[in-house]
Amino acid sequence: MNAHTAAGKLQGLAEDAPWYEAAFVTGITNALNVVADGLADVLPPLDDATAGDATAVFAEIRAFHAGLVPAPFGALARDPAYLADVWAAWRRAFSDQRLTRRLKTALAFAVSLTTRSSFGTRFHLAELRRLGVGERGVMEVIGVTQMFSSYTKIADTLQLDSDMGAIAPVDRSPAPGH
Amino acid sequence: MPTVRLRSAAEYPTAAQKLFALSRAWFNHDFAEPPAMSRVMAWDPGFGGPHGRAMKRAMGPGEFTRAEKEMVAAVVSGANACSY
Repeated sequence: MNAHTAAGKLQGLAEDAPWYEAAFVTGITNALNVVADGLADVLPPLDDATAGDATAVFAEIRAFHAGLVPAPFGALARDPAYLADVWAAWRRAFSDQRLTRRLKTALAFAVSLTTRSSFGTRFHLAELRRLGVGERGVMEVIGVTQMFSSYTKIADTLQLDSDMGAIAPVDRSPAPGH
Repeated sequence: MPTVRLRSAAEYPTAAQKLFALSRAWFNHDFAEPPAMSRVMAWDPGFGGPHGRAMKRAMGPGEFTRAEKEMVAAVVSGANACSY
């Protein structure tokens, strides 16, 4: 992980802000995948007829995801306040900021493929295509995911110490809002 | 701590020195010693060569830039819980 963050910084993503965004996408992607894959067969998603106070959140989700309420959000609707916060974090993580939504979706697809999440892989692949990424772009993400699933296991098997973190430029800017 | 002794670049044959030069160019950084992974992959050029070519093909610019792909690689490493 250090090696690629360093390499990415050397390739022009020198500031920390994009890397914070990538980390948030990774975390919330995994959070939704865990619920989606773990609960798919045991806790069906609620819909507008059964979700009660959560229907307002469903409307926001549909506006963001081309009319779709991804199944794990439907499952979380059993606690509307909790759903609202998870949704707000998700929407923030996937919105265009320093990184585009298109790249963030590519990151989420890579994370889902790496963690073998059937929900996440299907969902983010569909989102990638909806956002205009072609078959070549999809294959690029698959190739990077596959190759670095190899490098990481070689590094882990030999217990290599990270030796590239220090080559990246250091971002001395303060935290946002300072 | 590595489970094998990582050889210094000087302990590798001449052919491997070319791989190390490619590694410097790839990262755009003049390493005092090639990265550990570069030295691991140079151990067996019959494996490291095609593996490295596949990686470079995957990482080359296309619909996504090289920098964006480094970010994809970083999150894959994170999801694999790999600190390297």
